[in-house]
Amino acid sequence: MADAQFDSALDLLRRLNPRDTKANLQAITTIVPDLTEDLLSSVDQPLEIRRCPQTSRDYLLCDYNRDGDSYRSPWSNEFDPPLEDGTVPSERVRKLEVAANEAFDVYRELYYEGGVGSVYFWDLDDGFAGVILLKKGVTAGSQSSGEWDSIHVFEATDRARMSHYKLTSTVILHLANETDALGEMDLSGNMTRQVEADLPVESDASHIANVGRLVEDMELKMRNLLQEVYFGKAKDVVGELRSLGSLSETNRDRATQLEMIKGMQK
Amino acid sequence: MASTIELASAFIEGAPPGELADVVADVQALTSEGDDILPSLAPAFERYNESQLTTVKLPGSSQEVIVSEFNKVEGNRYFDSESQTSFEIDHTTQTASNAQSSPLESQNADLIKSLLKSLGVHAKEHYPNCSYGVYPIENDSAVAILLVANRYSPNNFWNGRFRAIYQVPVSSSSTAVTGKIHVDVHYYEDGNVALNTTKPVKISIPSVTAESIIGRIAAAERDYQEELNRAFVRMSEGAFKGLRRQLPITRQKVEWEKVGGYRLGQDISGGKGR
Repeated sequence: MADAQFDSALDLLRRLNPRDTKANLQAITTIVPDLTEDLLSSVDQPLEIRRCPQTSRDYLLCDYNRDGDSYRSPWSNEFDPPLEDGTVPSERVRKLEVAANEAFDVYRELYYEGGVGSVYFWDLDDGFAGVILLKKGVTAGSQSSGEWDSIHVFEATDRARMSHYKLTSTVILHLANETDALGEMDLSGNMTRQVEADLPVESDASHIANVGRLVEDMELKMRNLLQEVYFGKAKDVVGELRSLGSLSETNRDRATQLEMIKGMQK
Repeated sequence: MASTIELASAFIEGAPPGELADVVADVQALTSEGDDILPSLAPAFERYNESQLTTVKLPGSSQEVIVSEFNKVEGNRYFDSESQTSFEIDHTTQTASNAQSSPLESQNADLIKSLLKSLGVHAKEHYPNCSYGVYPIENDSAVAILLVANRYSPNNFWNGRFRAIYQVPVSSSSTAVTGKIHVDVHYYEDGNVALNTTKPVKISIPSVTAESIIGRIAAAERDYQEELNRAFVRMSEGAFKGLRRQLPITRQKVEWEKVGGYRLGQDISGGKGR
């Protein structure tokens, strides 16, 4: 029953307005409290920003840097509010995490020209795993706004001189526009994609480059996909609902065309 | 804390176009109550049907008629002016029954009939699949003009709905049409993307004739669709581009060997003059 309920919860969240995912998630877990933990770790929500008290730098909150009610800053490796025995990565994986944060900070600046990013790594029995988070918001006046959240979760499993990477990426994109001529327009949603790859590993530094390229390629693909769905597909469906041109003319033209084709076939 | 019924009711009312049955199935599974929960959700189904302009087939007919607050007779009985029929609806299953002949009784009956005729021509020209209705409202002092167009393509993971709701006070001379157009599109292949729009409409009408009212409405709908199409381009070129570049300004992908490892590539960020 619990599995069926979990599937129903995911199906429901895939159908209800993606702008309201946070409230809907809360409502579902009020109805079925037992699903709370599983849903929180598998449903992506817009990321929250917090300032690291040690370094005064912003970082992003997610389930992977949370321990109880505290969140670990990637810049200081400290929990806020402070925790005596909060879960932190091993020394080797923390070193990788620091390097990945530096690398993705450059990436963020090059592609997002602003925004906030955070990378969190954790140890696995046969490798390590991590999440790369990127967030940016824009407002152009009061009438137009946009928000982008990238959540890339990966696992790197050790093989001989290779590593097997499995990456699951979600982008949450919210766009809104309001003018007198347009009224209110809200275009919101999320899309998820997965990729797996075996890549050579010479040293720990190779991991950063491998994960970096996987995420960079994935974001390029997803950006193109979002562009297609948000501004192509959605617009096409509006055109399916309502035809700007006259349908009788369209049908007449089509009939004439058919006649011509028939005529040529004689 | 909100009760299960309140929460489940909000899910029902939030169901996207063409997916009410899926949402109901999810709610039944989540609450573990199956069909037992349905009677307590009846008010939510009614609100959904009336606000979404749900269409139902009249018994023994292929014609789809609208359910709304404007053509409600009493209880679960609604009225269709074109076929001059009233019918009962089961809000939960969205099926009509007990149809009865019900002549249109209104001092504006002639206007309503001409409006239906003009609206029918307009609807046929621009909506491949739609239902519409014109009803007397507000103690017969005004008319409501409704149009709903649905396209469902669940095999391709998209559904859409266009709703237009107008009210026209009937007076001897000039009048004004007020109303709203809503467009809702849901795309859910490997994700969940929704377009929701609301466009308030206010148009003054020089003479209270069906031709001028429907003519102005048709023009407003065309203008709106054109504006919406422009808004897609504006969002794509504006906010979307401003969030994330397709490629860095250098047109080069990141050189991960330089920025990765244990040294930060100061030369790369420094090279951009930042």
